[in-house]
Amino acid sequence: MILAIVHKFFLIAPGWLGPILMAASGGGHGEEGGHSGGVEHLPSAVTFLEKYGIGHGVLETWVNVIFAFAIAIFLCLVSVRVYARRQMIPGPLQNFVEMLVEGMYNFIYSILGKDAKLYIPFVGTLFFYILALNWMGMIPFGHSPSTSLNITASMAIMVFLYVQYVGIHRQGFFGYLHHMAGSPSDVVTWCMVPLMFPLHLIGELAKPLSLSLRLFGNITGEDVLIAVFVGLGIAMVSFSPVGIPLQFPFYFLGLILSTVQALVFALLATIYILLMLPHEEHAAEH
Amino acid sequence: MEYFGSMLALAAPLGLGLAAVGSAYGIGRAVGSAMEAMGRQPEAAGKIQVSMIIGAAFIEALTIYALIAFFMAMGKLG
Repeated sequence: MILAIVHKFFLIAPGWLGPILMAASGGGHGEEGGHSGGVEHLPSAVTFLEKYGIGHGVLETWVNVIFAFAIAIFLCLVSVRVYARRQMIPGPLQNFVEMLVEGMYNFIYSILGKDAKLYIPFVGTLFFYILALNWMGMIPFGHSPSTSLNITASMAIMVFLYVQYVGIHRQGFFGYLHHMAGSPSDVVTWCMVPLMFPLHLIGELAKPLSLSLRLFGNITGEDVLIAVFVGLGIAMVSFSPVGIPLQFPFYFLGLILSTVQALVFALLATIYILLMLPHEEHAAEH
Repeated sequence: MEYFGSMLALAAPLGLGLAAVGSAYGIGRAVGSAMEAMGRQPEAAGKIQVSMIIGAAFIEALTIYALIAFFMAMGKLG
C-alpha cells in the first residue's frame, strides 16, 4: 500500500520537479548579491529603486531571487492561461506555445526515443526557464539571474538529483550500483570494479560542477562584455550628454550565446538521463 | 604589495588569453570537422550538430574555468 503510494508519487516526478526547480533556484540568495567577484553589470530596475532609497539594501541583496521568481511566475502564468483557454482552432498565443513545445518534443525525442515523454516536462521546463533567465539581462532595466553562481548551482544540483533518481528508478537499486561499477560482466571487468567505481562517482559529482560553472561563466562574461562596451560608448564622447551605442553588435552575440547555453544545459541534462537509462533499451534503438 | 598587484594585473588577462587560444583551436577543429561531415552526409546533419554542440560545450568549459579564475583574481586586485 505504502509502496504503491511512493511509486505513484515518483511516477509523477517530472510534473512536480518543475515547480521545485523554480523554488530551489529562487531560494539561493548569496551574501554577494548581484555583484559576484566585483564584476560590473548594467544597472537594473532594482539598482534604480536602491538609488532613490526604496529598497534599503534588501532588494540589492535579493536582486537575483526577485528576477528569478518574476520569470518563473511569468512562465507559469503564460502556460496556465494557454492551457485553460485551449481551443481546437488555436489563437496566436496558443499557436506560438504549441510550436515551442512541439519543437522541444521533437528535439528530445531524437535523443531519448520512446522514453522522451517521461522526461520532456523536466528538460523542457529547464530549457525555457534558463532561456528566459539569460535573456532577462538584455532587456532594459532587466538583470540576468544566471550571472549568480547560486542560481545556476541550484539548477545543476536539481539535475544531478533527478538523474540519480532516474537511474535508481529505471534500473533498480542494484542495477544502479552495477551501472556505477562500470557494468562488469566477466572476470577482468569485475577486477576493475575498485578502480571504476570511484571513477564513476567522481564523474557523477563533476557533472553539476561543470554544468553550473559553464552557465554562470558564459552569461556573466556576456553581460560584463555588454556593460563594458556601454561604458566605453559613454566615455568616448564625454563632452556630450548622449553616448554612442557601441554595445549594439554584442546584443546579437548575446542572443545567440544565451540560446546556445540554454540549449547546452538542457541537452546535457538529457544526455545524463540517457546514460542512466538501462543499456539494452537504447542500444537497440541506435 | 604594489609589485604583486601589477604582476597580477599583467598575468590574469594573459592567462585568460592563453586559455582562449587553446579553446579556439579546439572549437575550430571540432566545428570544421563537423561541417565537413555535414557536407558529406547532409541527411545526418541533425545528429552531427547535436554532437558538435555537446563537444563545443565541453571544450569551451575550460575557457570558462579560466574566466572564473580571472574574476577571482580581479576581485583580489580590487
